[in-house]
Amino acid sequence: MSAPMSAPMSVVANKRPFDVGHAAYLALNALLLTFLLAPIAIVLVFALNPTPYISFPPVGVSLRWFEKFFAGTEFMNALWLSLWVASVVLVLSILIGGACALALARGNLPGRAFLTAFFMSPLMLPAILTGLALFQAYLLSGIGRPVWGLILAHTLVAVPYVIRTTLAVLHNFDRRIEEAAAVLGASPARVFFEVTLPLIRPGVFAGGVFAFIVSFDQFPVSLFLVVPKGETLPVVLFNYMKFDLDGAIAAASMVSILLALSVVLVLERLIGLKAYVKL
Amino acid sequence: MRSGAGLAAIAAVGAPSILHAQTKTLKITTWGGKWGDVMKATVLPAFEKEFKCTVSADQAFPFVPKLQASSKTDPIYDVLHTNSNEQWNSLSEGLVMAKITAKEVPNVADVYPYAVSDKIVGVTIFTSAIGLGYRTDKGLAKPTSWKDLADPKLAGARGGYIIPVNSLGQCHLMMLGKVYGKGLTDLDAAYKALEALKPIKLVDFTGQMEKMLLSAEVSMGVIHDSGVYRYDGPNMQPVDFASPSEGVLALEQVLNVTPGSKVKDLAFGYIDYMLRPDVQKLLAEAVWYSPANTKVKLDAKYDAKLLTTPAKVATLIQPDWKWYNARKEDIDARVTKILKG
Repeated sequence: MSAPMSAPMSVVANKRPFDVGHAAYLALNALLLTFLLAPIAIVLVFALNPTPYISFPPVGVSLRWFEKFFAGTEFMNALWLSLWVASVVLVLSILIGGACALALARGNLPGRAFLTAFFMSPLMLPAILTGLALFQAYLLSGIGRPVWGLILAHTLVAVPYVIRTTLAVLHNFDRRIEEAAAVLGASPARVFFEVTLPLIRPGVFAGGVFAFIVSFDQFPVSLFLVVPKGETLPVVLFNYMKFDLDGAIAAASMVSILLALSVVLVLERLIGLKAYVKL
Repeated sequence: MRSGAGLAAIAAVGAPSILHAQTKTLKITTWGGKWGDVMKATVLPAFEKEFKCTVSADQAFPFVPKLQASSKTDPIYDVLHTNSNEQWNSLSEGLVMAKITAKEVPNVADVYPYAVSDKIVGVTIFTSAIGLGYRTDKGLAKPTSWKDLADPKLAGARGGYIIPVNSLGQCHLMMLGKVYGKGLTDLDAAYKALEALKPIKLVDFTGQMEKMLLSAEVSMGVIHDSGVYRYDGPNMQPVDFASPSEGVLALEQVLNVTPGSKVKDLAFGYIDYMLRPDVQKLLAEAVWYSPANTKVKLDAKYDAKLLTTPAKVATLIQPDWKWYNARKEDIDARVTKILKG
């Protein structure tokens, strides 16, 4: 094709006709993103508004509510407890959930469908009932409400997320890779640690991220299981809101959101969660 | 706020003849917010020092469901602090004592009659007056009647509560029966009057109503006096509280002891301590609650506004929570239908 002809054709090729369907698709995406992000933007506006009540439009920009949040012993204690509990829950959920998923996918267990439903059942029960039931069980068995009881409760509701995401990876897993490793002389343990685990890692850790966030934001289960001076951040915020509905709540929400986002970003950097997203 | 040391000294001088426990733990419920700050900073440390015990103060709601779920013989709380309606619910399940008398708690001898009336389970330590809060910068005349809330000019700018979950809303509903009908129990008149208040902005918590008034989201709303007066100070907003001529409803802070408590003497001692004039004065002036003890002398600023004389206390109307709780399910269904949307 000659040069004089190619230039007009290229212009035609680049100038695509207006596509109504594509525009509608983009508009819908923009709408969904706005729907998802607008509440966060509103919370940020409230957190920066200096008035002692939530008002719109804001009258200025101030960090006083962030200062109040970070200066509050009760807030800080609750924040650190929530972070600590969520970190332990993340580890436990990965260990328990990953093992359960492997057993369910590979174990040839009798009643596999029932077991899967059983492990998923904490997601189907209202969390407030799970909390109440555990509270009663702990008290009746005389163990009170220790922190490890709270951790176990959070783990109970977080494990299904790890199971589900790991099962999704295992579903697409090509077992011939493991077989090849075994044929080449690798022991079962070596096959697991050097072949299976790296391949299912994105699913396990994606579930771990969910577990962390579920625990960090957990309110209904914690409501019954926290003790005086040992309250998690969502419980402290709920009680604070009943008496002092000011910008400190919005500041605390922003901190929570940023912390959750940080965990996701750190894990993305460390293990590449995009690999899981592509599945 | 007074220092903890000062309060401890006062407490030591005025110690009642109640058996002081040794290194026991008293499990109580208590409010958060400013009340909780004063309790944790001053009141409870002084109590612990005097009674040589530790206090485990639970501020995390819901108190009554937790008490219900725990064993009656080893309850999760020794002292239950709630509003009056929840005490009635707890009594019906045998979770709290019916009455606290001067025999167990000597300072009960000095309280106003409303604090131990037949409308109270346990003993009232403070009360607020439920009336009308309003903006003073909106050209509104100071309300004199509960009927003023129905002024058509306030359409969409009046505030109320989600009645099934808020005792102020429940009190307001009963007051509508009194103002527009035959009395607090005239529900038909109350429902009709409630319908006439639409459009109305509804909130779950009293704190939300305070903020709606402060932000001028509503110009007038049902609120307790403490919820307005506590913003007194250099940054006082243009809001005020009005006591309608038909009377104000009592929002009582009630303490009670659980029958299964292992430290009952300490629990009674705590209630007695909370009724001491100096402790009452400290808390009353911190959160603008009217003290139940007749011997409390508040500073002039507080005395002028709070219910501190027999004449002012006589304006209090105490709802019959036993009657209300027995009908709560039906009432909830009806008001939800009325206020839906």
